[in-house]
Formats: sequence, structure tokens, C-alpha cells
Amino acid sequence: MNPGVNLVVSGVGTVRAEGFDFRTALGPRGYKYLPPASQFFLAAAKRALADAGPRSLEAVDPERRAAAVGTNSAAASLHDAMDRTVIETGAAELSPATAPYFSINLFGSRLATEHHLKGFNLTFTSPRVAGLEALQNGGRALAAGRARRLLAGATEQALAEGEPGADTSEAGAVALVLEPAAAVAARGGRAYGTVAVRSFFLPPALAASEGGAERARALIEDALDALGHPAGSPAPDGPPPVTAVLDGSPVGRAVAAALGERTEHVPAGAGCLEPVARVAAALAGGAGPARVVVTAAAEGNAAVCLVTPAGRAGTQAAAQAAARSETRAEREAAAQSETRAGTRAAARAERQAAARAEEGGG
Amino acid sequence: MPAGPEEPGGLPLGRASRLAVGAAREAVADAGLTGLAGVDPRRVAVAVSSGMGDSDLHERRRAGGPAGPDRWAPVFPVASAVGAWLGAQGANTCLSNACAASGYALSLAADLIRSGEADVVVAGGSEAYSRVGLACFNRLGAIDPERCRPFAADRRGTVFGEGAAVLVLESAEHARRRGVKTVYARLAGTGWSCDAHHATAPEPGGAQIERAMREALREAGALPDPGTAGAATGPGAVPGGAEAGRLGFVVPHGTGTELNDVVEVRTLAAVLGAAAPLTPLYSLKALLGHTGGAAGAFAALAAALVLHHGTLPPNVPVGALDPECEAPLPTAPTPVTAPYGLVNAYAFGGNNVSLVLQGAAA
Repeated sequence: MNPGVNLVVSGVGTVRAEGFDFRTALGPRGYKYLPPASQFFLAAAKRALADAGPRSLEAVDPERRAAAVGTNSAAASLHDAMDRTVIETGAAELSPATAPYFSINLFGSRLATEHHLKGFNLTFTSPRVAGLEALQNGGRALAAGRARRLLAGATEQALAEGEPGADTSEAGAVALVLEPAAAVAARGGRAYGTVAVRSFFLPPALAASEGGAERARALIEDALDALGHPAGSPAPDGPPPVTAVLDGSPVGRAVAAALGERTEHVPAGAGCLEPVARVAAALAGGAGPARVVVTAAAEGNAAVCLVTPAGRAGTQAAAQAAARSETRAEREAAAQSETRAGTRAAARAERQAAARAEEGGG
Repeated sequence: MPAGPEEPGGLPLGRASRLAVGAAREAVADAGLTGLAGVDPRRVAVAVSSGMGDSDLHERRRAGGPAGPDRWAPVFPVASAVGAWLGAQGANTCLSNACAASGYALSLAADLIRSGEADVVVAGGSEAYSRVGLACFNRLGAIDPERCRPFAADRRGTVFGEGAAVLVLESAEHARRRGVKTVYARLAGTGWSCDAHHATAPEPGGAQIERAMREALREAGALPDPGTAGAATGPGAVPGGAEAGRLGFVVPHGTGTELNDVVEVRTLAAVLGAAAPLTPLYSLKALLGHTGGAAGAFAALAAALVLHHGTLPPNVPVGALDPECEAPLPTAPTPVTAPYGLVNAYAFGGNNVSLVLQGAAA
């Protein structure tokens, strides 16, 4: 792992389903038969890349470009329609154009083809946290030297009418471009700031117990500690404000009870889009204070994202947080180092050196 | 179907989740971690993948089955179900890169340990019958009406299998500290790539699957010496001696679909060079069928057991081989004394992952 890779967000793209026209957003040809969630993510990525500016991706070889997307419900309504076709008229009536989309990882595959993303292309589906997991796991993979540019975010499509949860459907996409700070600076680009995610699991039975909120508090504090914001650490503005995207489940209630007074509560929908949208909004808000976005699902999955806008990156508090985070990461890496074979370390070092060479030493 | 609650905490579980919990129960007991004895639950992560998740819950409802709860039921609570059963409070993720998903989950598990985010990861994959999945695969002409016969001249596609494979990963140091008696294997190398070529077809040149294989072999230090044999199947083979650094066997992706099998064998020949004709394949899908999002974990589990027992099990005879898929598929038990085994897992969307496992002992 290379905790010093210092990824920043250099482009943000968002798409809302309302009023979305793929012809306008993507082009008149070649997109008609893509399911909506695939169109949304393509369009969000296109906007994010345009926002990041020229050569944000192209500066590196296709094998150093990667993507990670989170989704819970991209395929749900399509599955519903296809299943009803099979039940009512037979499998032969399925459209061969949409049949591949039974597989949820297909919703991000066109993105890889269009932008020559050959490093990796991951699809996460964990309830509600999948979008933040795309940022977390994609970022970790870049720190491990598996790629040097990342398109990451979330996409969702509304559930079929009548499906349980359809009244809280999400539809749209958010995409972020992540690249090393040095690369952004070298090409004169703009850094929105940094995002860092830690996920954890609060077993639903534990959440529903008397000590559920206390356990949630401990897990959130662990996450913030890992992200360089330990509880009780000196911060000129006090603890960072929190946006909590939660439902009314025992897990959601335990997490809500664990959060402080500076918490903005946002009702969670049937998907993983809203938490990433809140991250994007915090980044696009400019040089405000660092913000924490927390989310959790009834199933127990939970994640904490620390968003540090670029304007804060130069402040003493943010620098201290970054230093603490790096120190912790280095300490953890050192603790693990004895478990690695020399060949593994050498291979990773070589991979990271190659990546640095691509950046011209950046 | 393993015994266990179908609705723990009021959250209904589909077949994939129940299979995953059943496999996790076996793996955790085998690792001596029942009840998470002696480990901090916050340091135990879960990474269990699935391509279709609990789609069966929704499919049963559409076909007139039980309506289920009126709350949103995400399709992919598979890792969550394992986390809830185990009480694990670390990261908990479901990665859904179709048929490569659980290969990625194992790699992600290693990255979680390496980065210091977890001490123990319960990792693998689970896949259950889905009417939508099977109907779509059939519509794409990718189902063999007879049986799964990878590399056979008369293969006509794949045949789905159901099941879950789960492994417990931890650092060697952590295993030593808690006095683990049996170590099956070491995950010595991982390689990721994406074809970025086509929604369903593999890139015919195999450039990206070759890159993933080479990356995993290089990280493990297992690249075959040019011009030498790779399999230590002869009477003179010496573990850790003259044959060290050699690859003993490959568990291929080998699905029985026409182009996939040809491209994989051709690429293996390029990677292994002169060692290819002497490096046996263990074609697991001929035995189990294609377990989709669990296939990579089944392959890795098989590879770990091959290394542990020093024997490659007999391949299921598939008839005459395709001349373009000529590879050693021994139908009798074959001793393996070389230290490494290679596992490949590929998916729709061109997602590729290769793992190299190395024999290891407690």
C-alpha cells in the first residue's frame, strides 16, 4: 500500500433522472438500448471528466485507468420486466439487446469501453453503502498501485411500481474523477478536495439491543480515528458537521442516536446514491469546513466518509488530520510488513514506481 | 440448503445469502473462529460476492409466492447476512463483478489485511438459481443443453451451478499468534484487469487476461523460467528445491463457452511458454457447473486444497478436446509438488482477475 498517493477529486458530475434525455446527454446514436442506470452513469462520468478538464484520464495509459461504481437497484426494474416476460410469454421473447444486463456489472461496462479503462472496473452492491464503497475500495486499489486514475461513484434506477420500497426509489448518478494531487497540479487542474471512506458493520441484532447506539458510536469513532479525525482531537471549528443518510430501521436509529448535535439528517432511499450525492455536494460547496457523511442500511452495512474541501487542505487542522491519517496508515502498513514476502513488496514497489514514472515523478 | 433462519431480525434471506451463511459457518469453524473466539469483532471483515444475489426472493414474489415484508429488500445482502450471523463489525462488502466477483473478493480481502483495515476477512462468493439469470444466458445462446464441458470440441456453452465457497484469510503473523493448526495456502499474488472491449465477448487477443495472469504470477514470484517445465509432476520434483518458482497447476476460468475457452488456453500458452504442455489444468466447472459469482472462490478453494494435499483431483472427462483448446486435463489423480497454483476468473464486461496461491503450512 502507498498511503502517500494523495488522491484528490478533480471532477464532479451528477445526473438526475427527471428530465434526463440520453440523446442530449450522450449523443443521438448508440445509447438507445442501454438501460437508464447505465445511461445515467455514462452521462455523470462524461460531465465529471469535462469538469476535470483535458488529459485527466488521457495522461496515463489505458491500463492505468480504472472505475468503481456502486449500485443497489440499477438492474431491479429491468429484472422485474424481464422476469414478467419470462413468466407471461417465455424466455424467447427477451430482447437480446438488454439480456446481458441481467448481470449488474454490465451497467458500468460501457463506461470502461468508451474510456478505455483497462486497469479494473469494479461493481459494488452492498446495501446503501455501495457508492461510498466504490470510493473506498477504488481508492485503496489506487494506493496499492493497481491504477492511477479512477472514475468512481454510484448509479441507481427507480424500482418497478409496486415493488416494496418503490416509494423511496432513487434514480440518477454521481461520478467523481480521482487522481493524484501532483498530477492535477502538473496539468493546471482544479482539486475539489479529498474523500476518505471507512466502512463497518453494525449487526442488526446488536443495533436493536440496549447497547446499540453505544456500539454505533464506538464504530463511528473508530472510523473517524482511522480517517485522521479522532474523537476529542483539537479542531478550531469543533468537530466536523455531519450529514447522516439513514432509514428508520434499528440500525439507522442506533447510528442516528450515536451522532452529535451538528448532524443534518437526510432520509435514505432505496439505493446507495444519496450518500455519494451528499459527498459530491460537500465537495462542490467550495472551501467550507470538512464534512462527514454517514450512512447505514437496515442490513447492518455502514460507512463514514470524510470530505475535506480543497480550501481546507491548506489549513493547519486539515494538515494535521492528513498527517495523522498517513502516520496511522504507515503504522498499520508497518505492522503488516512482516507478513509480506520480499517478492510481493518488490512487485508493488515496482508497480508504484512505474506509476510514478508515468506521472513524470509526480 | 443449510439450516438456519430465513428471516433473521425480520430481514428475509434468499438462497444465495443462506448458502453463504452455510459456507461461512463451515469455514469459520474450520479456522477455529466460531463465535469469533479470541479476535476483536471490529477487526473482522466480510467480503462475499454474488452475481445475482437474492434475486430468487423477488422472483418468487413475481411468480405468486409470498409477498414478503413491505420494506425495501436490496438484492445483494449476501455479505450482510454473513456479517450478521458472525457478528463481524469490520468492513462488509458485496462485490458483484459477475463471474469474476469472488476472485476479486479474495483479492480485496488481502488488500484489507495489507492496508491494516482488518486482521481477519471471511471472503468468498455465493450464487443461487435465478430465473432471470438463466433465461438471459439462454437468450444469449450461452447455455449447453447437455452438460458443462469446458475445452471440449463439442461444447455449446455453460451450465449453471449453485453454491457458496468461503475462505478465512488472515496474515501469517496473525495466524501464528492465535495458534492456528492448519494453514491451507498463502494468497501470494493477485492481478486485475479489464478488457474494455465488449459487453459479453472476451477480447479475442487476450491481452488483458494475460496482463492479469502475469501480474499475479510476478507478485507471487512464480513466473515460469523461460524454456523450462512448469509442472512438478515428474519423479524428480522436489518441493522448494529445483522446482521452486514453478507453477504446478492452473484452475482455469474455462466455462464451456466457445471463445472464452479458446482465448484462455491460447493466453496460458503464451504466459507459460514451454511449460504450458506440462502444466495440468483442473477444470472445476466440468464438475460443479458454472457457479457465477462464486466461481472464483470455488476455484481458489480448490487450489488451496490441491496445494494442501499435494494432489490434483481427476478432471471430469469431457470428450475429445477442441484442437484450439489443447491443454493437459488429466483424468487421474496427479501429484503436485510445485509450490504454486494459478486461478483465473473472468466475467461479462471483460472483468478479469487472476490469483496465485502458494503452498504453506502453519
